[in-house]
Amino acid sequence: MTPQRHAVDYPRFLLRMALLSFEGTWRFYVWMTVLSAIALVGANAWAHQLAEGMALTGMTDHVSWGLYIANFTFGVGLAAGAVMMVIPAYLYDDHEMHDVVILGELLAIAAIVVCLLFIVVDMGRPDRFWHILPGVGRFNWPVSMLTWDVLVLNGYLLINLHIAGYLIYTRYLGERPAKRWYLPFVFLSIAWAISIHSVTAFLYAGLGGRPFWNSALLAPRFIASAFVSGPAFVILLLQLVRSTTTFKIGEGPIRTLSSVFRVTILVNLFMFGSEVFTELYSGGAHSASAKYLFVGLHGKTALVPWIWSALALNLASALFAHAPWPEGRRLAMLNLACVAAFAGVWIEKGMGLIIPGFVPSTLHEVVEYVPSAVEWKITAGIWAVGLMVLTLAIKLALPVLSGEVRARGAAGE
Amino acid sequence: MDEPQKRRVALKVLGATLGASAFAYAMAPVRKWAAGLSVDQFLQRHYRELTKEELAPILRRLEAKAKADYGRDVVIRDPDPLEGAEFGYALNLSVCIGCRKCAEACHVENNHDRTTNNSYIRVLEMEQGSFDMERGDATYEHAVPAPGKYYLPVQCQQCDNAPCVTVCPVQATWKEPDGIVVVDYDWCIGCRYCEAACPYHARRFNWQKPEIPAEEINPDQSYLSNRVRPQGVVEKCHFCLHRTRVGRNPACLEACPTGARVFGNLADPSSDIRWVLENRRVYVLKEELGTHPRFFYFFEK
Amino acid sequence: MGGVQRNLVALLLAALAAGCNRPQQPRRFGPAPSASAYPVTTNQPPRLVSVGTGESDARGEELRVPCVTCHSMRDKATVPESTAELKEFHVGMTFAHGGLSCASCHRGGQPPTLGLADGRAVPTSEAMQLCAQCHGPQFRGYLRSAHGGGRGHWDLSRGPREKNHCVDCHDPHVPKFQPSTPVLPPRDRGVTQQTKEASHG
Repeated sequence: MTPQRHAVDYPRFLLRMALLSFEGTWRFYVWMTVLSAIALVGANAWAHQLAEGMALTGMTDHVSWGLYIANFTFGVGLAAGAVMMVIPAYLYDDHEMHDVVILGELLAIAAIVVCLLFIVVDMGRPDRFWHILPGVGRFNWPVSMLTWDVLVLNGYLLINLHIAGYLIYTRYLGERPAKRWYLPFVFLSIAWAISIHSVTAFLYAGLGGRPFWNSALLAPRFIASAFVSGPAFVILLLQLVRSTTTFKIGEGPIRTLSSVFRVTILVNLFMFGSEVFTELYSGGAHSASAKYLFVGLHGKTALVPWIWSALALNLASALFAHAPWPEGRRLAMLNLACVAAFAGVWIEKGMGLIIPGFVPSTLHEVVEYVPSAVEWKITAGIWAVGLMVLTLAIKLALPVLSGEVRARGAAGE
Repeated sequence: MDEPQKRRVALKVLGATLGASAFAYAMAPVRKWAAGLSVDQFLQRHYRELTKEELAPILRRLEAKAKADYGRDVVIRDPDPLEGAEFGYALNLSVCIGCRKCAEACHVENNHDRTTNNSYIRVLEMEQGSFDMERGDATYEHAVPAPGKYYLPVQCQQCDNAPCVTVCPVQATWKEPDGIVVVDYDWCIGCRYCEAACPYHARRFNWQKPEIPAEEINPDQSYLSNRVRPQGVVEKCHFCLHRTRVGRNPACLEACPTGARVFGNLADPSSDIRWVLENRRVYVLKEELGTHPRFFYFFEK
Repeated sequence: MGGVQRNLVALLLAALAAGCNRPQQPRRFGPAPSASAYPVTTNQPPRLVSVGTGESDARGEELRVPCVTCHSMRDKATVPESTAELKEFHVGMTFAHGGLSCASCHRGGQPPTLGLADGRAVPTSEAMQLCAQCHGPQFRGYLRSAHGGGRGHWDLSRGPREKNHCVDCHDPHVPKFQPSTPVLPPRDRGVTQQTKEASHG
């Protein structure tokens, strides 16, 4: 095939996809309309935040990161967790997983979009975004961990866009994807997935002034919890796609992912426990944050209900995933476990990890943080955008991959 | 095209139009924000990439903006660091009485937001016999000095190994040759990573546009120090470089009623600050973090 | 990896390296601090020339009596041991300065002077010497601007400095620094009553 052909075919492909994204059942329209409405509420809240300043959030000079960075951290985990489909599909040649691995890649794309949006809304001056562009601004690389995060997150987004885009485009043309154009990127994406979450952990772990984060276990814990939330989401997603589309999804992928999930949920709980032990058993000033988180400090207890719910959800999830349920109820209980784990990790890694790093402050003042309405609106809006991206990506990818949508004159029609 | 198909297309067009106008309506408040921005400001380069000639019109533009926003004629200069000067600061814990006059002087000198009583200095009331900040309190309002207490004013320690400088993704904060860690308020993107990294609670974020009555504005300003900061950027103590770089003492030092504060040139062996370091029992805050502060605490006896 | 990919990676790395090493202007410097050209002065408290009697005149102003009224005409050689012995003037003066007596500092004679512990007399303008004989660490700190405070320049090649006098802050008879109400309580975002309750709870 010649480059000239792509110059015509590729814009046509994009146009076709754009038109296709407006086609759908009434359920699709309702779903997208609801998400759009939520996203608009978020956009409006963000516009107000820009105009009035971040005084509209609940953040302070004491707790200078809040719900946005909490969700960002969780989102990176979700993106990294999707690699749990890629590893079996490509490293262990799990053919059934290979057939659905595109869903993991699309999830990674949507999750990274969510992460980038959370960073944008957390910036006091988003108009100065170009200052962080390498070559144009002043990119403090390799010293600042945040520049590493910019590189790995955008890199991961590009890698996954390339893999998913290339596979879909070649199938659209009715051609066999050339391995050399995507396989190296798939293996790169596996290593890269680990890097995005490690680097995100290093953002926090590298700060000597914040003893709660300053732990070597943080990166492994992040990875472990990512491999809880990622598979949990995908298990639910696979069933949803199976019931709402004609795309064929076997039992194999769900079985593989639930095996992964059963192990990681325990590993995550174990790491959580060893962190809690180290913090609380040794005592002293360094355990003040952990004390604040679990039992409250100087009568301040805003995070206590959060962390105990997270712990309860994670324990319940482990129980649901491991108890010997009768055959007929096994899947339902697994789904319940996935929902519980997803919520549990969201709290544990978000509010339960970011906020106590700031409480007490570096001068040991106890200033509590409660997200404002504006923050909740923006957060909901961003997740809605993420779900829209994911819905559209899946909706466009599946008919192409199954051969329903093809370029005119494409082979195999 | 048959009728139902036409209707479908018409519905889609209607939906898309509605969606687009709803988005425009939702984002309308941005107009207020955009009104305060300018193309010149957007394209402005980092302070350290500007020559004096390039900086001059920027200073004039900032003066005009101060006039427009706050109704006050101000002079914004850009004093250079002094050849061979290395600034250091020491504080005599034996005589500090916790009156917060230093914090107030900072508040006035540096054009801080009036509604929040903002200041680069936070004074902790500590319990005698304890270095544990956990038992300290910054919000005391009773008469000072109170029995059984001592006072620990904390401000930017101007670390030689500053975590805030390390973490800044855009080099908007850096250490000047005279040891002062400064912020280019026109380059900061407001990510607040430096606030998370600083072990001394030295940094402040402009959660909203600072409010200062025109008559209370200090018109003697400089680019890297006390000009009124824009909304959405981080600021910090700069050792009053608009004063200290012309030989004067910082505002907090002059305001101190007990003379607890010693400022000077660490590179000059005959300076008062050197005398303190060589003749008094000196310590630095959180030495174990390896930040190498330029701010020292000492005891008189 | 294909040639295109290799070029792409090289390009990205080059852009990255360029972004990290953007050129910057050489830093300019102001003239170095040089030899002291300006003086360091000490604030001299106004000379005390009269004392209050505790009574007021017809306009409600305090009646004051010049020091010389007594201290030139009928000055005795001795100074009382304590304020309790004062019967005519300086009555009811509070005195809280260690175990000192009036004679520890004041000397009779003509004109009245201050006296050091070794017997030497010093004029009131040199009162600081009197303080320094007991408060050595404070005085040595004071000499190096580490106690007492003042106004002006750290760099004496660019401007003068004025220091406070001991008596600007310490009443010689009741030298303890008097408690005062602190100014500018923190009112930053998030710091409300909750913080106070916590720290005292």
